Amino acid sequence: MNILKLEKSKLSGLLKSWNDDFEVMVPAVENGNLVFGNLGDYEPVLDFNGRPLLPPKEFMFPQIEKTFSFNAADNTKIGIETHLDNTKRVIWGIRPCDLKGIKTLDTIFLSKYVDAYYEARRNNTILMGLNCNEPCNYGFCSSCQSGPFANGDFDILFTDLGSDYLVNIGTKQGEKAVSKSLKLFKTATDADQKKASDIEAASRKAFKNLPAMATAQQRLPQYWDDVLWKQESVNCILCGGCNFVCPTCHCFNIEDVACDKQISTRMRYWDSCQLGGFTQMAAENTRPLQEERLRQRIFHKIVYTPDLYDGALGCTGCGRCIEVCPVEIDITHIIGRIKVK
Amino acid sequence: MQKRILTTCEFCGCGCNFYLGVENERVTAIHPSPSHHVSQGRLCIKGWQGHEYIHSKERLKTPLIKQGNGFREASWDEAYELIISKFNQIKKQSGSDSIAVLASAKCTNEENYLLQKFARTVIGTNNVDHCARLCHASTVAGLATTFGSGAMTNSINEISDAEVIFVIGSNTTEQHPLIASKIIKAVKKGAKLIVADPREIQLAKIADLYMCHRPGSDVALMNGMMNYIIAEGLADEEFIKTRTEGFEEFKNAVADCTPQQASQMSGVPIDDIKRAAKTYAASKKSTIIYSMGITQHTTGVDNVMSCSNLAMLTGNIGKQSTGVNPLRGQNNVQGACDMGALPAVFSGYQAVGVDANRQKFEDAWEVKLPGKGGLTATEMMEHAASGSLKAIYIMGENPMISDPDINHTEKALKTLDFLVVQDIFLTETAKLAHVVLPGVSFAEKDGTFTSTERMVQRVRKAINPIGNSKPDWQIIVELSNKCGYKLNYASPREIMQEIARLTPSYAGISYERLENGGLCWPCPAPDHPGTPVLHKDKFTRAGGLGKFMPIKYKLPAELPDSEYPFVLTTGRIGFHYHTGTMTRKAWALDREIPTGYVEINKNDADRLSIGNNQMIKVSSRRGEISIKSRVVKTIKEGVVFIPFHFAEAAANKLTAANLDPVAKIPEYKVCAVKLERA
Repeated sequence: MNILKLEKSKLSGLLKSWNDDFEVMVPAVENGNLVFGNLGDYEPVLDFNGRPLLPPKEFMFPQIEKTFSFNAADNTKIGIETHLDNTKRVIWGIRPCDLKGIKTLDTIFLSKYVDAYYEARRNNTILMGLNCNEPCNYGFCSSCQSGPFANGDFDILFTDLGSDYLVNIGTKQGEKAVSKSLKLFKTATDADQKKASDIEAASRKAFKNLPAMATAQQRLPQYWDDVLWKQESVNCILCGGCNFVCPTCHCFNIEDVACDKQISTRMRYWDSCQLGGFTQMAAENTRPLQEERLRQRIFHKIVYTPDLYDGALGCTGCGRCIEVCPVEIDITHIIGRIKVK
Repeated sequence: MQKRILTTCEFCGCGCNFYLGVENERVTAIHPSPSHHVSQGRLCIKGWQGHEYIHSKERLKTPLIKQGNGFREASWDEAYELIISKFNQIKKQSGSDSIAVLASAKCTNEENYLLQKFARTVIGTNNVDHCARLCHASTVAGLATTFGSGAMTNSINEISDAEVIFVIGSNTTEQHPLIASKIIKAVKKGAKLIVADPREIQLAKIADLYMCHRPGSDVALMNGMMNYIIAEGLADEEFIKTRTEGFEEFKNAVADCTPQQASQMSGVPIDDIKRAAKTYAASKKSTIIYSMGITQHTTGVDNVMSCSNLAMLTGNIGKQSTGVNPLRGQNNVQGACDMGALPAVFSGYQAVGVDANRQKFEDAWEVKLPGKGGLTATEMMEHAASGSLKAIYIMGENPMISDPDINHTEKALKTLDFLVVQDIFLTETAKLAHVVLPGVSFAEKDGTFTSTERMVQRVRKAINPIGNSKPDWQIIVELSNKCGYKLNYASPREIMQEIARLTPSYAGISYERLENGGLCWPCPAPDHPGTPVLHKDKFTRAGGLGKFMPIKYKLPAELPDSEYPFVLTTGRIGFHYHTGTMTRKAWALDREIPTGYVEINKNDADRLSIGNNQMIKVSSRRGEISIKSRVVKTIKEGVVFIPFHFAEAAANKLTAANLDPVAKIPEYKVCAVKLERA
């Protein structure tokens, strides 16, 4: 399909046009925090820097989720009720790092073993990205090939050109979403596309102190036994924040929770490999020390994920793990330390 | 669809804010708040995943009345009527002072204010106290004496800019993670960290100097440091001359506590004591951070006042990034104290014994009020056991796990004629009650908490009360009305209006203002911005001068001997909160540490043929427990550590109710035990 252009002033109307059929999630500001909020409840903020602290993975993979409930009141048969969320959603303003994150989660949850709960939410969600015209505070996405502009993984992609957006349609689903509102759009000119290119180049150039991510996968294994893991993890308070805010982290725990005497629900919760209980088994803990768990997290992002998933880096360079860490453990700092052996 | 409600954390005194994401009356997400000044978008694991207890099926959903060995469900009216008739009967037979009230450091300011009001107006007694007695009573007494104000003198964020940080008796990483965050930030910027603790806590690993002193030797250690500071001419003479009094007497008191003496008494090498002293005195941005390790001793008040002495000696008080900073444990223990849930004061620390104060409250509350100070929480148990105290009304506290010598507490509570417990779970204490009233969690009510930096912040209702439970403030209002003392508040907002009217330090606080963020008391007027730094130009003490106190080292009450050769020191861990009623019901925390353990030094364990993760018996003169061993290298030989969160391996079965004579706080940090293989 063509590449389109939308006057900025028309975006609000476009978002509202989806509100009848979809739950529309937009960037909003709450108590000074950038968040994703529902269009009905929040005033969208369309000009903003950076991304919310929590990635949009929450919409597909919630922090706390009911999977199914079972009712054992009748001994002869157990009633099972599956909880699938088929709410139709549009999420507008997803940054390239987060688009990449969702792509990674798709690979995890929708490949050989399909996760029905993720699938239901994912299939009903339309992803609308927004490129980054400048680096954000903590981001290093350009060194991870996941920003500042997206090169895929979206239904629709917006680029802020100043008074207009360049609008790339990426999928049939994206095409369908704008089909009823085509009159709002114009066709983008070559000049518009060149402008977007220039903005991308300028954005890319503006990153400072990028970690050498491209070669990290090869170098890291040499540092398996290095003292750096102990040094870098010395202050870790085991909060789990780095995993919770990571766009690609997807580990979860299952607990059967009794709601009352008859009904129990199998709940799914986000889990964190930084906690001891994550690997605790009857006889032993395979990662008893904090340094082993930090190493695990870094290796999983940079070594294991590319190994398992055709070279796809597990880190999208969003910088949230650095931002959320109460003791400033910094993946870019760690990558920086493995430059020279 | 998920709604997000900004609220204040219900666990520790850091006072982090986050959003509770709720959908269909259930908490389904936690969103940190990057704009919050302390939290800055960061949380500990309790903040992230510690809230599942809210939806536990064990939540109390209806009032309960004792029947046989158990309980039967009852209506609110029936429960209230029983409480009122029993209180009236006991009041008539034995007087108002035979009834006591324990308020709650977990409940809101509004609720604590109402409960002490209830005790004083309806019951007619000053027998009001709460668990601050067990944790920072030494702070309140000690700092009030030396500075005039018993609270953290500086703000949390200033810690990041300190040049020297002296942490004594605080395992900050586990107890106040977001404050440890500031300490670590300061260290990364080049600050010098000095840690003094009988256990090699996590902060010790990044400290410039770690001193492993004997439990209870804090005065010796600090006197040794101060003796050296004076001897080396490092004291701030200008500050001492212009801002303090009592220096000469203090100087004489520390004169014979040389670093050598101090080393003998504390077990810390002489050079380390000197280095600690020199480092601390060398900067004008030195701050002292302390917690239970200092306060929970028979010399708790002395320990706290030694911290004051040290700060005044070097002029490190009343300035940015300095101060004497007690880290208040509970989310609202500071507030519960501020609200007057204490036996000798009304809200704002206005003494009940001072006629003018009593007159003010009598005018406001329209009833005659008792002027004699009441019983402290620790004294309540003594009087209950002896039979002179007949009834206790407990809100949100679990003395059956948190009191010292809980075998004695159990006897005391069982001796009572009548026990009412208001809580969200049927705790070990609630199990002994005659009437149980179901209150609500922080997610089900509006109110305010006051954090350790004296910051008053909003707690916002996110879901409706579970089952037939009621917000605690509502229960007190209904009970009071049924007793004939009319209370009429449409909401906690109005309760805060009354608090502000009667409490000078809270006078400028209102829900309107709190919508824009927290306020640090003293906030004496509606346009006052709040006071992050105390004692700037003068101390809040009458006369404006800080008081040096002459303090001599005294030994702990129960020392190890041949029969009980180990020192037991108790404390907390980062995954669980106090008596575990909430955290042990969150899978993420329970999975980390599912049950109690005793830390034993490896050499001691080897000597006793105790292996790791083995069930052993630990006993004291008070009782014994079976508990798993955890062999470590991070604790001094001759010392063992047990976290007090686990009812089935209750540390407090072993501890003794040896109290500080002034603060009446128990010596949880030192008692004598023996270890045996099970």
